[in-house]
This record gives sequence, C-alpha cells and structure tokens, in this order.
Amino acid sequence: MRFLLILCAAAGMFAAPDPKLAAAGRIVYNRACTMCHGLDGAVGDRAPALGAQRRYLRRSSQELFNAIKLGIPGTLMPPTPLSDLEVNQIAAFIQSLRATAADVEVPGNTARGEAIFHGKGQCTECHTIRGRGGIIGPDLSDVGGYLRLEELRAALTTPKESIPRGFRPVRLTTASGEVIDGVVKNENNFSLQILTRDGGLKMMLREEAREITYPEQSLMPAGYDKKLTSEEFQDLLAFLSRQSRRPRP
Amino acid sequence: MKLLILVWTATLTAQVTGEHLLKPDPANWLHYNGQYHSQRHSALNQVHTGNVSRLAAKWIFHVPNARQLQNVPIIANGIMYVSQPNEVYALDARTGRQIWAWFRQPALQKGPNRGVAVYGNRVFVTTPDAHLVALDARTGSELWASKIAEASDGYWSPAAPLIVKGKVIAGIAPGDHGLNGWLGAYDANTGERLWRWHSIPRPGEPGNETWAGDSWKTGGGATWLTGSYDPELNLLYWGIGNPAPDFDGDKRKGDNLYTESIVALDADTGKLKWYFQNTPHDVHDWDSVEIPVLVDAELRGRKRKLLAQANRNGFYYVLDRETGEFLHGTPFVRLLNWASGLTKEGRPIRVPGVVPTLQGTKTCPATSGATNWMSPAYNPDTGYFYVVAQEGCGINTKSADTFRPGGFPFMGTGYIESPEEPWQMYVRALDYTTGKLQWEYKQINSRRYGAGLLSTAGGLLFAGDDQGTLTALDARTGRPLWHFNTGQQIKGQPVTYRVAGRQYVAIAAGSNVVAFGLFE
Repeated sequence: MRFLLILCAAAGMFAAPDPKLAAAGRIVYNRACTMCHGLDGAVGDRAPALGAQRRYLRRSSQELFNAIKLGIPGTLMPPTPLSDLEVNQIAAFIQSLRATAADVEVPGNTARGEAIFHGKGQCTECHTIRGRGGIIGPDLSDVGGYLRLEELRAALTTPKESIPRGFRPVRLTTASGEVIDGVVKNENNFSLQILTRDGGLKMMLREEAREITYPEQSLMPAGYDKKLTSEEFQDLLAFLSRQSRRPRP
Repeated sequence: MKLLILVWTATLTAQVTGEHLLKPDPANWLHYNGQYHSQRHSALNQVHTGNVSRLAAKWIFHVPNARQLQNVPIIANGIMYVSQPNEVYALDARTGRQIWAWFRQPALQKGPNRGVAVYGNRVFVTTPDAHLVALDARTGSELWASKIAEASDGYWSPAAPLIVKGKVIAGIAPGDHGLNGWLGAYDANTGERLWRWHSIPRPGEPGNETWAGDSWKTGGGATWLTGSYDPELNLLYWGIGNPAPDFDGDKRKGDNLYTESIVALDADTGKLKWYFQNTPHDVHDWDSVEIPVLVDAELRGRKRKLLAQANRNGFYYVLDRETGEFLHGTPFVRLLNWASGLTKEGRPIRVPGVVPTLQGTKTCPATSGATNWMSPAYNPDTGYFYVVAQEGCGINTKSADTFRPGGFPFMGTGYIESPEEPWQMYVRALDYTTGKLQWEYKQINSRRYGAGLLSTAGGLLFAGDDQGTLTALDARTGRPLWHFNTGQQIKGQPVTYRVAGRQYVAIAAGSNVVAFGLFE
C-alpha cells in the first residue's frame, strides 16, 4: 500500500514564505519550540526535525498554523499561547526550511554570477539556461525551483554521491571498434539511448556493442568554491538560485 | 436446431465448477495465482524456448479510464475478465474484443484492483467502497452487492477473491490507517457472510496479549493480496500485513500477532490452525502478504507438504504447511542489515539499533521490500523458486502519530530511498529447498515495484518490468530469449491460456492488456 501514499506525499507543495516573516519566526521558534525540537528546526530530544527532506503531513501555511496554534492531539505537541502573528512567523520559518533556493534571499551579484556561469566557470560547456549552453548536463533554467540552497551549494562543491537518471556516463565500443562516449539518457536490458559528448544521439542495441563501461565518476566537477574566489562563488550561487520558472513573490 | 445450439452455447459460457477450480484445464487461468497452490506454472508448452523468438502481439485492449492496471486477467473458456477499481470487462480472449463492461456507481476512487474470481456463471469482484459484487459472467449484470466493511471507516478491498467450495474468500485493506484486518468467507449465491477471521486478536482471544494496552484496537494487519489453498488439508494460507502505526512500535510493544505472519485457516470455519510470524513487532512496514507457494516435495528425509514464501523482509522461508513448522530460511537479497540470521524456530535475530528514529536509520531492505506484490513462480521441472527481488535500502524515520477515525494514515512517519544504495531490481532463481541462488537476471534501469512472474512447461519464465518490457527468460539459465516493449509501466502479473488450439501469453501493462501468440 506504500506507493499510493508516496504519490500523495509528493503532490502537495507550499507557497514561498516571506523572508522577513521567516527571519522573525526563526527567533521566536528558537525561543519557544526548542524544549522539544532542535535549534533552527533540526531534530530535537523529543520532537522531529522540521526541515530537511523528510515527508511532511503538514505542508500548507494553514496546516502549519493550526498545528502550532492548537497542538497535535495525541502527541507531545501542545497548543501554544503565542500570538497569531508569532505563530504565522514560525510557520513561515518552517516553510523557509523546506524552501528551495529560489525562495530564499541569497546574497551576491547575479549579473557577475551570470558572467561566471558563461565564462570562467565553464558551466555552459555542459549546462543550458533558457536555451543557451551545452546539453550533456541537466538544464538549469529551473534549478533554484527544485534544489534547496544547501543542495545547490553541495552540487558545486562536493562530488556527487549518486548520478541522476539520464546523466550517467557511459563508454560503448561497437563491434567495428567505434567508441561512443556520452551519458545514458535511457537503457534497459536490450538497448541504450546515448547522448554523446558532442551532442549527438546514438541509438544502440546491446548486441551491437563489444563492450560497455560505466565510469563511476559524474561528469560534474566539484570544488567550485576553490576554483573561484569566495566572492565569485557567492555570485554564481546567487545567480543559480534565481533560476526558477516559478514567479517570485 | 438453431435454438438448441443457442442453449448449448449459453450453458457452456464461463461455466466454472468447483471441480474446475480444483483441477483447472491449463487452457484456462481461473485463479489470481493460477491454481490453488499458487505456483504460477502452466502446463502449456506450445510456446517454448525453441520458438519463443516468434512470439508476437496478437491484440491490445485499452481500458479507457485506467492509469496503472495491477490486474491479473482471469480466463475461463475463451473469455477474459479484466478489472480495475469499480470496473470489470469481459473480452474475447482470442481477439481482445469487448463483450461487456460493468461500472460501479457512484464510484469511490481507490486503487488498485488486482483481479476477479469466477465460479458458476458468476464473476466476483471487490470494490473501493468495500463491497463484494457478483456479476453475471455472460452479461455483466450485477446480481448482488454485499457490504463487507464500512467504507466510511476507511476500509476498501483491492485483492482478487478466491473461490473455495462455493465460498468467496475476500480480504481487506488498509493496515496503514490503523484499521484492523480480517479474512472473510461469503456465500457465492447470496453474498451472505459465513465466517470472519480477525487478524488482530480481540481481548480474551489468544494473541491479544502480544499487544500492549489498547494498541490492538488500531493494530492493522490487512489482507491485501490473494492467498493459497490446500484441498487435502482444507486449509487456506494467507499472508497478513503490517502493524500500525507502521514505523512507531513504542505504543504497541509485543510481537503484535498476527501481523507480519503467514496463517493457516480452516476453509469451512475460518478457525486458525497455525501461524508463523516472519517479523515479530515489525517497525518497517514489511507486509507479509507475499504469495505463499505450496509445493509437495522431499525435505529432510521425508515427503512433505511445503509452503515457500519470499518475504518482503528479505528472507526466503520454507515451512511445513501441515504444522507450520519452520524448516528453512535464508536471505534472498544481499542488502539486509536488520537481522543477522534466523533462529532454529525461524525467528529473526535482530541487529540492535536498526529501527526508525527521529533522525532516520538506514534500513535494508527498504520499506518497499526485498520483494512486494510481484507474484513469484515455481517450476517443478527445474525445482526453482523464482522471485522478483529488489535490492536497496531506505532511511526510515519515526515520530509520534495519532489514530484518527475515518481512514487517515496512521504511519508514525515513513521512509526515503537511501542515497548510498540506489534501488535495483532482479529476477532470481532459488533452489526451492535451500533458497540458494541459481541464477539472476538484472533488470537494468528498473528500481522497484514491477511485474510478477509466470513459469511455463515450455521452459520459459515471463517477467515484466517497470519500464514496460515483457521478457521471456530461459527458466534454467535466466538468459533472455524474447522481449517486447509494451510502452507502459508493467505492474501486473503475466498469465497464459489457450483458445482454439493456440497458446497466448497476456499481461496488463499501464492502461492496456496485451496478448501475445506465435507469429503465423
């Protein structure tokens, strides 16, 4: 019965919180809620984390407001004597913990960040934003809309733990000795659909290959925080965080 | 003369007797699991390892409102019955042409529906609003609808019923909402309830003491897949689902019988004969509903009636099905971190600390399980038990949850995929007595929740996957011999049947049923 619930959980989203409300909510939260929950929404001694990537039952502002204001019957979560304004501030703070990069204020000069994206960072060799750039890596036109800020930062700094579907590197040698180097867009036991490094699509049957190898390393380089100055890195992060197809509030 | 022929045809249509259900003609596929023993092995051998490369699509039936069928088509005398929630279709099994369709209105939308049962001139189906409905197999006319549970409480019924000695055996879901499960028997003529066995023992019944305090009241224990039956012993074998709240065991200390168990019930009375609990006090939502496969074979020096089950908790079990005695258990997945083995009684030896926490605990297999609803198969020619295995781990979390009446989730939180161990699916052949791996077929790019298996006397094992490919494997080696891209995710189980001397293989794929036969 599990998959049904997972689909339901994936369906609901929330509106982006007001950053000022969230900042005020953080202060109220850290004062009023950390007897049980952890500091800044982390896991606490008696209550769960409120951010990160778990699946949440309460997602909308109203659901969060009600849970904070009225408590959750049958659990340790009590009703609160805080004012409605303070409860709204805490709800905004919790939503900000779950927010994607586009929902939060990221300091930095986005125009300079864009120049780095297209220039020194060499990002466009693989990535596209709004039709400009390479295609071997994911299109980043909406990256701020689906990655949280910490995930965006990690993507630029640390090697990937797992390679997303559609971007796994592959090297296929055909029976005639031709080497096809690229990423696997799709595959199963009988065929592979490969996007080659030079941007071509190769449709291969496994039986046409003499050898297929999958390099373990993602094509995405890490360590941009070291390759760039700290200012440049922050500008790039700011620029990427703004890439969202959702209108900003 | 004309009149005579008409009458003769009408009595022949879908006339399924108790004897037919007991010993099905291999031309038919009369039970969700093929036969009472649930081996999913067909004696049909017109399609075999030597000619399966000539297998071609013969017809496609599109179910207009379907998104993802998880249905096993039932075939009786050339007629195929296909179902999805609130809908049943009767098709000409040779051409795929529709004979009739039945729709339940007003329809409560909950899915899936896993299939129908046939008996006499009737088709039986359970519904999202927890009714058992009998249809005329020739016209689709509704004969009666019997309420088997309160839909307003949150109950519904996804599993295909099983017909045993004129009784319709039906189960219930969901356990994840803290609703207590049961298995029921209903009169095939009237829909009247004949017996009900409660999967959570009530006060005064043996097993109630395995639930702390009042926790038994919201204990779960659903019956959402179809079980098996041994006519000689007159015993039903059924797998029981998870306890609730799924991930928080603190409020329900104890073994939590009969959740996560295989139970043997007297088919006449519903009385419990024996039980075997795979996962006492489960906190990972591993339903034990996986199909119990009945095999008669020699083990430990004597001929025995065996029951084999590949359980979602990662262990393959062999039991004596007369007594419930545990005979053998061994992991069938490599990623298993919650138990270091089984005791000689079959009880898991728990690894301390592998329980859900506020922060999350890496748990292998994941909650989606080492396997799931994907039907296993057993081939008496190879002696192999075939299972669809899922390798992968989850990060399981726990927090306080409250039961709310009316059908709300009562999970005590949940799980996500572990980033360190991406999920991967396999078809595996196990020696049925030892559970030892004989071969495996990696379903490349398939991660979890796919299709079940069908074994045939043609030396073939049919397997589908979540990418839409139906594949015929050599049952002895696992080598792929034929495949077809159905174009939609497959979550159903393949079946085979014969009409007018020709063998067909059929499977529900996405919103379609596709039937294959040899190219001519």
